[in-house]
Order: sequence, then C-alpha cells, then structure tokens
Amino acid sequence: MPQPIDHKTALDVQLVAASQAGDMLAFEELVARHRDKIYARAFSMMRNEEEAIDLAQEAWVKAWQRLKQFQGDSSFATWMTRIVINLCLDQLRRQKRTRAESIEQLDEELGGVERQMPVVATNPSEGLERSELRKRIDKAMNQLSYEHRTVLILHEFEEMEYKQIAKVMNCSIGTVMSRLFYARRRLASLLQSLKKEQQS
Amino acid sequence: MNTELKLQALVDGELDAREVREVEALLAQDAQSAALMQELKWTKGALVGNDAELALPETREFFWSKIERTIAIEEKKAAATAPAERSWWLKLLYPATGLAAMVAVMFVVSGGRSTDGADSESVPEDVNAVSFRSESEQMSVVYVADENGNFSPVSEEVKNAPEADK
Repeated sequence: MPQPIDHKTALDVQLVAASQAGDMLAFEELVARHRDKIYARAFSMMRNEEEAIDLAQEAWVKAWQRLKQFQGDSSFATWMTRIVINLCLDQLRRQKRTRAESIEQLDEELGGVERQMPVVATNPSEGLERSELRKRIDKAMNQLSYEHRTVLILHEFEEMEYKQIAKVMNCSIGTVMSRLFYARRRLASLLQSLKKEQQS
Repeated sequence: MNTELKLQALVDGELDAREVREVEALLAQDAQSAALMQELKWTKGALVGNDAELALPETREFFWSKIERTIAIEEKKAAATAPAERSWWLKLLYPATGLAAMVAVMFVVSGGRSTDGADSESVPEDVNAVSFRSESEQMSVVYVADENGNFSPVSEEVKNAPEADK
C-alpha cells in the first residue's frame, strides 16, 4: 500500500510513483509544475500559440496513458519534453506535406548557401542584456525553417547528440550536421543584422 | 565530412581524439577556418541558457480540466473495447458458427449421405435387396434377389439427366 503524500511538497519521483498507482491529484501537481516548460517547448517548435496549447495538452494525456512505461532513466521533465517534441515533429511533418517548400529550403538543397554567407566577425551577442538577447534569438529563430529551428532546439536546448536528433527527426546524421551548420550560420547572420538595426 | 562540418563537430565535441588533432592543425594554418570556428562558437554560446521562457496562457484549473476530461473520455473508450479483448474466444465463435451452419446445410442437401462417390446400402432384410448409388454417375440401382439368391437390377433412377435423354 503506497504511503499518502503531500502533493505540494513531494518530489517529482514521488508524484510519478503516486500517479503510476492511479493518483490523479499527484498527476495534476506534475502538470502544474511542468506545464509552462512543456508549452514553451511546443511553442518554440510550432511558433503558434493555439497549436502549442493543443499539443501540450495532448502530451499530458499521452503521458498519463504511458506513465507505466516511465522507468526513471531520465527526469520526468525530460521524459515529458520528449513526448511533446515527438508530437510537434509529427504535426510539423503533416503540415509539411500540405505546404510548398520554402525558397530558403530549396536554396539549401541546391547546396552551399551557407558557404556564401560572410563570416560574422564580431560577437553578435556581446554586451546585450540577457532579456534582450533572448528576444533577439527568438526573433531570429522565427525566421528559420522548421527543420533548421528544430535541430537547433534539440541540440542547443535539449542537449541531444547528432545521432539522437537523427533518430527523432528520422533523417541521417549527415543531414542533421548540415542542417545544424546552416541554422547556426543563418542565426549568426540574423543576430548580426539585428545588432546593426539597433545601432543605426 | 567536409572541413566546415568538422569544425562544427569540434565545437560540439563530436570528434574523436585523432580528428580533433587534425582539425586543430588546420585551424592553426587557415585563418578563414579559424574565423568560421569563432563564429560557430559565438552562436553556440549565445544560445546557452537562452531558451525562450514562456508561460502557458491558460489558468491551471482550466488547463487541467481539459486534460482530465480528455483522459476520462479516452479511458471510457478503452473500457468499451476492453471486454471484447478479454473474451477473445468470442472472436472465434463467429467463424465456428458459420462453419457449423455450412456443414449442417451440406448434410441436409445431401440427405445425410456420403458424397464421396459411389456407395451401397442394404434395404431391410426381409426384402432381400441391395441398392447402389453413384453420385458421380448421378444414378441409383436397386438389386433384388430371386428365390435362388441371385441379384438382378429392378429399378434405375438417373438424377438430373440431360433434357435430350429424357
């Protein structure tokens, strides 16, 4: 018989164990603790508030249904984030099938666009307040294609290795590396432009 | 892997020791590669810890109520399909019933007789006769014994005979 727990003060692992035993209140507490992070990840990938809310909600329902499969190999937050990332990727793939490729992507596939970009010679983030830098990064990310944005998110924010990204994005490691390279070069260029705009 | 991707792999710590030495040697000689390497490092550094922080634009109660309701609906659906999964033998009942019905129909149509070709059967002992039926030939013959015990055919019935033969 599991011990009753104080949901507000319990650790995530305790709440997960209680949820696995069917305690809905424990699961509600987990939702309350991590809902912003899960929504933020969905929004960073989808760039659409409504879709991000729906996908975050779907992720929580899936988590409840698969809770028995959670073995604690990673933190609960990481496990939850993987669920929402997979849902976002599925959704983005469905959307991609119905929309035309962007010129940017076609350029990239033709090869070498990133090689023609001049190297950014000064640190585009130097001297910026953190909040301002975040704002600029967000603005620049918004201008990337979903494939480029996603590899950056998975690599830089989720700290996934090339092979892990290749697996979740269903592509080769070479493609991951090439997308990541392009995304970084484009981001550097966008941040540089934003800096120049600010200065002028 | 081209040089640029090797530079990136070095930034990301995805190269083995030998490759690291090779790329570092290249960086020492090639200013353009070194500049590109610097740019990649700046970009990576700018992103560290600067993931957008957003709050879900719905109240805790409202968001949870949607999740709770969806979970309840999904569990209801699952419960509705669960009994069928438990009584797996019910799935076998339909084909078994069909098969039994088919056998019964065949039995009635064939009049309870074997349909594997010719067969013979005895009529009651006091008549002292034997009948022969061939399904393949579609005919029946009855042999009746005379006082010496010799059998001779006394009737012949041909089923479904062609019209011209009638």
